[in-house]
Amino acid sequence: MRLTLIAHTPNPEAMIAAAMLTTTSGVKPSTIYERLQANPEKVGDVVSRLEVQHGSILEHNRLVWMLEADEQLVLDALLKTRFFTFTRLCDGGWLMSANLRAALEYSEEYGGDLGDSLLDSIGTVAPNLRCFSERKRT
Amino acid sequence: MKVKLLSYQPSKDVLSHLPAAKLSEKELLGHLSFTFALERISRACSHQLVRHRVASFSQQSQRYIQVRRLKTHVVTPQSVTVKAPEIFDSIIGQASNAYQALVDAGIPREDARFILPNATETSLLVTMDGRSLMHFFGLRCCIRAQWEVKDLSDEMLRQVKEAEPELFSGAGPYCFQLGRCPEGRFTCGRMGEVVEKYRV
Repeated sequence: MRLTLIAHTPNPEAMIAAAMLTTTSGVKPSTIYERLQANPEKVGDVVSRLEVQHGSILEHNRLVWMLEADEQLVLDALLKTRFFTFTRLCDGGWLMSANLRAALEYSEEYGGDLGDSLLDSIGTVAPNLRCFSERKRT
Repeated sequence: MKVKLLSYQPSKDVLSHLPAAKLSEKELLGHLSFTFALERISRACSHQLVRHRVASFSQQSQRYIQVRRLKTHVVTPQSVTVKAPEIFDSIIGQASNAYQALVDAGIPREDARFILPNATETSLLVTMDGRSLMHFFGLRCCIRAQWEVKDLSDEMLRQVKEAEPELFSGAGPYCFQLGRCPEGRFTCGRMGEVVEKYRV
């Protein structure tokens, strides 16, 4: 199995922080996002101490991967979560996408080669989220 | 009402990694997501939005955020403004006073909000993948959709068309997407006119 991250929505951690602050502050979400984009320290701070347990704040993004794997692995992943999207490109080649919530929950619940690779991708696009997840587990 | 496409992942970023003609537009749309900030819409409108279940929402919480100056933070339908503004304003004023009185009496915001009307403004983030957006436009750009959610979806459509003109060239109400009206006996009977509008 080989998973390669090929694209993702820009600055997902700023969006996670914007989603979180939208629910609890009276400031407009576009203003929050604009401010956060210019303030990576604040983004890191908010994402590192995620207080809201609603996983939905992790859903305003998308990661896209090329997956080289057999059908069994894809079927297994689909049976475990309905939040992954797969398109078959060729025999053993798939386009796969999901948001950070789906990727993180799969990784935390099922691990394995796919889970570990997903976690690597999360570390690439949302390093503070990965650290938060690791702290939660220890 | 303010609509802003905050974030999306350009299709070219995905397509550049794929051999040509491997993916239909419909399949590609399922792998792309679009996040909007929707601001100063009514709770009546946001209630229609959240019926679209293949989507993600982060909405201002009335449990955490106290509603202040309700009278200046409501959405007023044009029909009301034209025909009966005094009835509307009177009830909004009463609701505003009652809400504030409840909060002042120590009632938790999560309970005081029960008195708030559907006209109360709200703001939220919404994320949909491209396929869900096409379905959303199919239903909510329809001339039969309620005016506020139709205005909202028309503006969302305008912005995604600006971002991804080719991918969304066929987007619009279902009569435009399908070439036939699926509304049955509820059809507006103006399909030609509607299709022409969205063709531009």
